[in-house]
Formats: sequence, C-alpha cells, structure tokens
Amino acid sequence: MKTTSLTLLALGAAILLAAAGCRSTAVNTVEPASPTAPREMISDKRVLTDQTLNNIVRIVGLNAAMGDEGFLKVQVEVENRTRRARSFTYQVEWFDEHGMIIDSPIRVARPRTIEAREVLLITATAPTPRAKDFRIKFLEPTTE
Amino acid sequence: MNTKLNLLLGAAAVAVLTGCVSKTAYVDPNSSRLVTTTEGINIQDFSQAADAMTASLIDNFINPGLLQSGEPGQPALLAISRIQNNTGQQLDTDMLVKKMRVALLQTGKVQTSTTIAYGGPEDPLAAEQQKAQEFFEDKQHTRLPDYTLSGKIIEDRTSAGRTKQTSYIFQLSLSSRAGIGVWEDERTIVKQGKRASVGF
Repeated sequence: MKTTSLTLLALGAAILLAAAGCRSTAVNTVEPASPTAPREMISDKRVLTDQTLNNIVRIVGLNAAMGDEGFLKVQVEVENRTRRARSFTYQVEWFDEHGMIIDSPIRVARPRTIEAREVLLITATAPTPRAKDFRIKFLEPTTE
Repeated sequence: MNTKLNLLLGAAAVAVLTGCVSKTAYVDPNSSRLVTTTEGINIQDFSQAADAMTASLIDNFINPGLLQSGEPGQPALLAISRIQNNTGQQLDTDMLVKKMRVALLQTGKVQTSTTIAYGGPEDPLAAEQQKAQEFFEDKQHTRLPDYTLSGKIIEDRTSAGRTKQTSYIFQLSLSSRAGIGVWEDERTIVKQGKRASVGF
C-alpha cells in the first residue's frame, strides 16, 4: 500500500515536471492584410543537411534591397515550427562580383533565440559596396 | 603469467597516459565554438557589438548618403574620441573600436586619423612627421576630422536563484564637426548561465 502511494506521488511529480518543461511559449502575431510596402522576394537555393535545425529555423522567404550608396541589404524570414523556444546561430558570408568571399573582422556567428511558432526577420547589411552576393549559414547552438 | 600481467599493466599505463593528454585545438574566432562565460566580456561579445554597430552605422548613416567629407571625392575622416569603460573589468576598448575601424575602412567611405585622437596621437611618429612636413613646407597639412566617435561600455549584473545574468551595454555616438550627434546607437548583449560553458 505504502509502495503504491509512493509510486503515485512520484508519477504525479513527474507529470508536473514534464508539464512545466513543456510550457508553451508560442507567439501570436497581427499585421495588415494588404501591406503598403510589399517585399520583393527573391528565389533562393537551400542546402539542408539537418532536418531538426530546419524545423527550428524553417526559411520562409528571402528579400534584398540596394541602398543609395550601393550597400546590399538582405532580410530572411524564418519560422520556428517546434513547440519550444529555441536558440540558433547564423553567419552571413558576402561575395564580390567575381564570387570571391569578402573577408571582414566583423564576420561573426550571431546567436538568436526564437519562440515557439514565431516568425522572425533576420537582416544583414553588406560590409562594402563590393558585395554583390551572399550566403547565410544556420547552425544549432554549440553549448556544452 | 608474469608476461600477461606486464602486458596488462603496460596497456593500462598507456590508457591512463592517453587520457591525461590535454586536448588543445585552434578554433575559428568567428565560429560559435568559443568559450562563453557570464563572468566577463568574451571576444565574441566585442565582435557581435562591433558587427551590430557597424551595420547600424552603414544602414542609418552611410547607405542613405548622409556621410559628408570635408575633402570632395575623398572618404570622410574619422577620429576616435573617448570610449569609456564603465564595467568592473579592465578591458581594452580597441577590441571594439579597432574592428569597427577596419570594417569602416573596408567600406571605402571612411578613413580614420592616426594623428588626431583623444589622449594623443595613436601613431606618434606619423604626428611628428606631419609636424616636420608642415614646418619645412610652411604649410598646414593637418586635415581636421569630419566626425568623431565616442562611447561607453556599461555592465549590469543580476541573478535569480542559481541563474546569473550579465548584460553589457555598448553605446556609441558619432559627432559632426559642429558637435552634433549625427548617429547614435546602443546594443545590449545579455548572457545567462549557471557555470562557464562553451558556445552560445
């Protein structure tokens, strides 16, 4: 009898802990049905090697714009399709007109957090007007 | 019997020695595999802040065509003013500023003066050479900076239970010759943790 009560207690505690751990942090959003500044989306090429990561940061769309002084600005829309807030890092690489990578002291992996079901916009500005192309890498956090 | 025992002992010794070899490896400073602590500012914090600040400066000031140079056709000249360290740590603010200077120089729109700076010239020999040239040619060569960059790094620490949170606030201002702040930004890096960890 005593053993059964203890087992029930342990089970109850486990359920409570699991429920607390799975607490939803999903995001609700609102925006105009007809945006006045529609984005010019560009077609993209994706190389997906990690399906788990692809669920955390699913790429929704990509758009780019050029400023008056010739600096390219890109924006990637990503969505977390999981039911938990997740972290990821991303890194942007820029290429010149010959397709050669442009090295910069500020080309770093940037950490971000995305809530469950949240749609996030990531922006990056080219470090020089020489940058004509780009590539964005997404990685899972490497915390040990 | 003795031979077997010796072999086993030898194998054990090799295993122990192999286990004791410290693993040291080179790590890409731009990767996310760097040691991250809540105890201080890590190099990737400076990189992230410099990256965000430079992007903001390009986005909000350079790319819209607001940057003006005193010398037509030449890049604008920037001088580095005081970057105040208001954290509890001893740190070299060049870890932030130098990255920004290099990045701004690479834009082709901005150059930095090495002879005019807060606290004296960064390159004393260049300053001496400039003075000597002015003396011999009896002509002013010193170009006044079009802009000055100043800022502050602030630290905030808090904790709840076993979770420690450290925030570093990077504030920068770009002033014109008229002493007007033409661009300003603030970036905050927040780190939480219970112990030292690797990665973000």
